[in-house]
Amino acid sequence: MIQLKNISKIYGKDGGQQIKALDNASLTIDKGEFVAIIGASGSGKSTMMNILGMLDRPTSGEYYLENKEVSTLTDDELAHIRNKKIGFVFQKFHLLPKTTAEENVELPLIYSDRKNTHTLAIEALGKVGLSNRSKHRTNELSGGQQQRVAIARALVNEPEVILGDEPTGNLDSKSGLEVVGVLQELNRSGKTIILITHSSEIAEHANRVIRIHDGKITEDYKVEQPLDARAELAELEKTNN
Amino acid sequence: MNKYKIITSSFRILRRNKLNTFFMILGIVIGIAALSITFSMGKGAEKQLTEKVKNLFSPNNILITSGRVELESGRSSESSVTNLKIEDIEAIMNEVHGITMYAPIQVTPDRDVIFGNKNISTAINGGTAEGELVWRRSVIAGEYFTKADEKSLARVALIGTKIAKKLFENSNPIGEQIRIGAVPFTVKGVLEEKGIDPHGTDLDMNVIVPITTLMSRLMNVNYIIGAKLEVEDASQTEDIAIKVTSVLRERHSLNNNETNDFSIVTPVVVKEIIGKMNRVFTLFLPLISGIALVVGGVVIVVIMLMSVSRRVSEIGLRKALGARPKDIMFQFLVEASVVSLLGGILGLAIGLTGTWIFLFSRGLTFFIPWQTILFGVLFPVIIGIVAGIIPARKAAQMDPIEALS
Ligand SMILES: Nc1ncnc2c1ncn2[C@@H]1O[C@H](COP(=O)(O)OP(=O)(O)OP(=O)(O)O)[C@@H](O)[C@H]1O
Ligand SMILES: [Mg+2]
Repeated sequence: MIQLKNISKIYGKDGGQQIKALDNASLTIDKGEFVAIIGASGSGKSTMMNILGMLDRPTSGEYYLENKEVSTLTDDELAHIRNKKIGFVFQKFHLLPKTTAEENVELPLIYSDRKNTHTLAIEALGKVGLSNRSKHRTNELSGGQQQRVAIARALVNEPEVILGDEPTGNLDSKSGLEVVGVLQELNRSGKTIILITHSSEIAEHANRVIRIHDGKITEDYKVEQPLDARAELAELEKTNN
Repeated sequence: MNKYKIITSSFRILRRNKLNTFFMILGIVIGIAALSITFSMGKGAEKQLTEKVKNLFSPNNILITSGRVELESGRSSESSVTNLKIEDIEAIMNEVHGITMYAPIQVTPDRDVIFGNKNISTAINGGTAEGELVWRRSVIAGEYFTKADEKSLARVALIGTKIAKKLFENSNPIGEQIRIGAVPFTVKGVLEEKGIDPHGTDLDMNVIVPITTLMSRLMNVNYIIGAKLEVEDASQTEDIAIKVTSVLRERHSLNNNETNDFSIVTPVVVKEIIGKMNRVFTLFLPLISGIALVVGGVVIVVIMLMSVSRRVSEIGLRKALGARPKDIMFQFLVEASVVSLLGGILGLAIGLTGTWIFLFSRGLTFFIPWQTILFGVLFPVIIGIVAGIIPARKAAQMDPIEALS
């Protein structure tokens, strides 16, 4: 469903110092996969995510989403696709301050033509286990809860793909596991998940791992037995009691 | 895009940023309050002036005053000219055709009007039998003067309703003896209610006695300060005014190089005066308040720009979630116009209350010119949109990646 062909992204002006954040990267991701993208800092992970999420355009190469080339689309068309097909989860949550969980989750629906936005937002919060927090302001929630609100926001418009750029980066290991658990559950229900992470341990929860180094894809392998975040959490509970 | 949700969310955002919202609203409130006060008062003054002048001065009236009239204020300048006589007016009546009636004008400074132990100080006007028609003011009780009253220097008086109320309370004043200074008068009639004239004189405080009585018994003068003429055919008024001028110049033996020692006010002159005053009321004063409004707009621009810089990540996020540049633009324009609309409504409320208090305290009737309401709502929205454009464009053009990183 996602296909990148020889994608390059070069920062800096011609003649000046240039940085190849992505260097001829090619990649195919099928519907329903759970892919982890790992790599060192500065390797090009966020650049990849921005291009996959259509927040940025590649310098060269082709990008097919559901067999449709998207690099020729206008900004407004890209905004429409982002709204309908892609859900974003960020490292820094990016929830609106002084605003309730429910209002945050409703946000993507404002830019769609969907009705009953309120009900849909409550439903999405239910999927991440936060039905009882819908009226809470985001600053009243823990980091893990805030990130789950962000996930609810990412899935409220029923996108095909959920993109996470180090969503566990700002969380302690338990909250991180909870977030990964929610992503695994979404994946089981059919969503395609692309998870960017520093941590190879987090990456082991995916079905497939892609490693980037200096803007090039250096490794791409299937995970035979992905870890189950839910089971690990249950284990943690047990040892704590 | 769900416009309704964006509008309601803009209310929420404004509520949650109270300080910013307060200052943005304040700027507009001040501007609109000032604008609506000056405009309403101006319109009120204009309306009152026009109505009163229409009442006093119809298209077939000519007003002669001794001395020169200051056009700017519409008031005759305080002059000691004593050469306008009733005989001058009688000569005009004889020599110029087309004038049906006239009323000479003379008035005392404030005098004590006394009944029993009650005492009011007011100016005393001179009247004639024809004055009833010329001034378009009759009596509601008793009778008007007669020619015989004029001839015999009768000591009879017509009093305004407020004078009647103050001196006689609820008892019948007709036939009662009052004193003006030391001179006794009999109350002959109570004048129709007229309210306040364009100069601010309360006409219901009038006391009118025959002008002959006034001149000989109360003032001991042989001149009048003016006269109002009634022309038969309104289309002839300006022509007749020219003839009146030449008769008066001749009678006052003025050479060609001497200016008039009297003034002639015709409907054309009155229109000019009213026009001049109205420009002050409804153009100049509101223009000054308009400047306050522009300052309010600038405040919005500055605060919105700050707000855009502070909300970079929100804007980036909204874009990532599918907002198009025009959606972002719409949101900020809505915020700016909601703020200034609120400011406008509040300013209008304050302005109209202020106007009401002002007019009420002066005993004038309050009315709301429809333009005030229209401008009070329309101006702020326009200002909000114009002031919002720069910040909104800045927000709309923001790069989501930079905003989110
Ligand atoms: N806007 C930009 N202008 C210039 N260079 C950039 C820009 N964004 C990224 N880069 C460079 O491109 C390279 C890849 O950056 P990218 O953010 O994709 O790395 P990353 O893998 O996400 O790193 P991290 O793990 O630290 O988030 C880096 O060398 C970075 O300095
Ligand atoms: Mg990164």
